[in-house]
Amino acid sequence: MPLVNFTAREITCKIVYYGPGRSGKTTNLQYIHGCVPEKRRGKMVSLATRTDRTLFFDFLPLELGSISGFTTRFQLYTVPGQVYYNATRKLVLQGADGVVFVADSQARQLDDNVTSLQNLQVNLLEQDIDVRAMPMVLQYNKQDLPADLILTPNEMDASLNFRDDPSYPADALTGVGVFETLKSISERVLRKLSEESPS
Amino acid sequence: MTVTRAIEPWIQDPLVRFVNEAGARLTLIMTPAGQVLAQHGFTRAVDVMAAAALGAAIVSSTREMAKTLGEETFTALNHQGVRHGIFLAEMASPRGPLLALVVYGSESSVGLVQLFFEDLVRELNEACPEEEPTRPAIAADFERDLNDSLASLFGR
Repeated sequence: MPLVNFTAREITCKIVYYGPGRSGKTTNLQYIHGCVPEKRRGKMVSLATRTDRTLFFDFLPLELGSISGFTTRFQLYTVPGQVYYNATRKLVLQGADGVVFVADSQARQLDDNVTSLQNLQVNLLEQDIDVRAMPMVLQYNKQDLPADLILTPNEMDASLNFRDDPSYPADALTGVGVFETLKSISERVLRKLSEESPS
Repeated sequence: MTVTRAIEPWIQDPLVRFVNEAGARLTLIMTPAGQVLAQHGFTRAVDVMAAAALGAAIVSSTREMAKTLGEETFTALNHQGVRHGIFLAEMASPRGPLLALVVYGSESSVGLVQLFFEDLVRELNEACPEEEPTRPAIAADFERDLNDSLASLFGR
């Protein structure tokens, strides 16, 4: 549940970028970190191995600005995608208000995408959270690769998007789709908060 | 500069008292997810948001490590550096578990922090109201504000 400061009228939401290893979760945060003005973001923290694979998480706090009179902050996290880091993935997922599932569009990575999505559902269920109740968007990254290597967004939707969540083709290295993905998950998280608010 | 912020006002008095008595430089009270509920002390001592995220991660991973060893939990942990030390602990409250991250310097010690931490836990439990605060009435038409905020964030 988003953290709300009624006195200072502030809202803080936790967004987790989930997905298989090397799908581009950290790249999303690095792109956002690189293009957002310094005064609107905090320090990006990355707990990575020597080869820059995420070991625990990346963390990037963002200040969106005033929304409905509340200063709104988003804390963006990534999880480690590699299969054997599931214990740490569960920890990062705790308290998430929304999830961005970053899938690798390469055809040969399809099984890894499906496995990671199933893993997300299992890990949420362990926290008594039904994935259907969690605001979520999908991002199909690496759409810039040659067409014969990747699946189209429609094919990715058919394989992964059973809930008909918003989905976005992306090339996170150059920023294509990164903004749209963040905007969409922000809307979904705040929409949920709005619907849960007393009228 | 000393900064005091409390999202939930009942935390503030026990927290300020603890920081003063223990001689801590900064103390954060946060949720297990690393969201800061209250802070008091010298914010220059640490990047607050990064410290909260890292502190919550340390507590979470320590708890899992305890489970693998057949322990229910490790109650607290301390890291001692040359100029600073940090004390991290989880505590039960009527609102569920809370975490405390205490940054202290040479003017204090882990013993002093531990001594007054017990008082902090007791005082927070006494002060904690059982009812959750009501949710904010975010306007249903928040999209325009959100679009403007994101556009300025990304320079669009």
